Amino acid sequence: MQDSIDKPVVNDLLDKLTIKQLYLIEEKMRCELNIESSINNGTIHLAKSRYIMGQSSVSTARLPVENSPEFSASAVCETKDEDGVIQFKVAESNAENTVNPLRWFGVLVPQNLHKAQGIFKNTINFVIECVNVQLQLLDNMKKMSILKKYLSTLEN
Amino acid sequence: MALQAAVKGKLISVIGDEDTCVGFLLGGIGEINKNRHPNFMVVDKNTAVSEIEECFKRFVKRDDIDIILINQNIAELVRHVIDAHTSPVPAVLEIPSKDHPYDASKDSILRRAKGMFNPEDLVR
Repeated sequence: MQDSIDKPVVNDLLDKLTIKQLYLIEEKMRCELNIESSINNGTIHLAKSRYIMGQSSVSTARLPVENSPEFSASAVCETKDEDGVIQFKVAESNAENTVNPLRWFGVLVPQNLHKAQGIFKNTINFVIECVNVQLQLLDNMKKMSILKKYLSTLEN
Repeated sequence: MALQAAVKGKLISVIGDEDTCVGFLLGGIGEINKNRHPNFMVVDKNTAVSEIEECFKRFVKRDDIDIILINQNIAELVRHVIDAHTSPVPAVLEIPSKDHPYDASKDSILRRAKGMFNPEDLVR
């Protein structure tokens, strides 16, 4: 008797989770495409800056190395719990020793580098959105596998 | 989605090619902590796969990092290490780069998600 009640309920739940799974897969791909177009836009401005300032002026040679003075990230993420799923949001760090990364590339940098900075700051928002979808996807997969296991115990 | 109020949050790390690292560091995610450990790694054609693996494992172990961004073409080189990481935090996100567009069929998470729809399960 218990089987006849439980099985349709479990099957119904599995159906709902499967539909949610498909939706989340689509969402994740949409977010990745947003990141891709944003990165492409940003790199065009990096390339323009390189054209103006010289090849090595916008390169890894200008990035801080292990011997550089310590500094903190200005964009960090903080977690919140939404229905048992960890979700992130972008936050501004309250650390005192943050730096403006534009200064690594010079004092008077071209406008394109400012634009690239703005675009990559926005890309961080897309990244957080994508990570949140990914975490929901993982949670959904976990729920689905638990239900499938339960269903198989009902059938045996 | 503007920046929220100032807080002490966790870091976003990046393992990527030159443009990806320069870009995201311009965005403000880069940090060098008091132990002189950066939260980014620039991968070029001379970087050994073992170095990438080591760096990825180091980022996973750090408790101040919540998100690891890795270019998908670089993730392909260390796929076994990424597949072995199943914990939700730190979240590992595969991102495209300017030379390598996003390929959903290579993404670890999406491959696992699609794996839930195997024929045996659908028949049931």
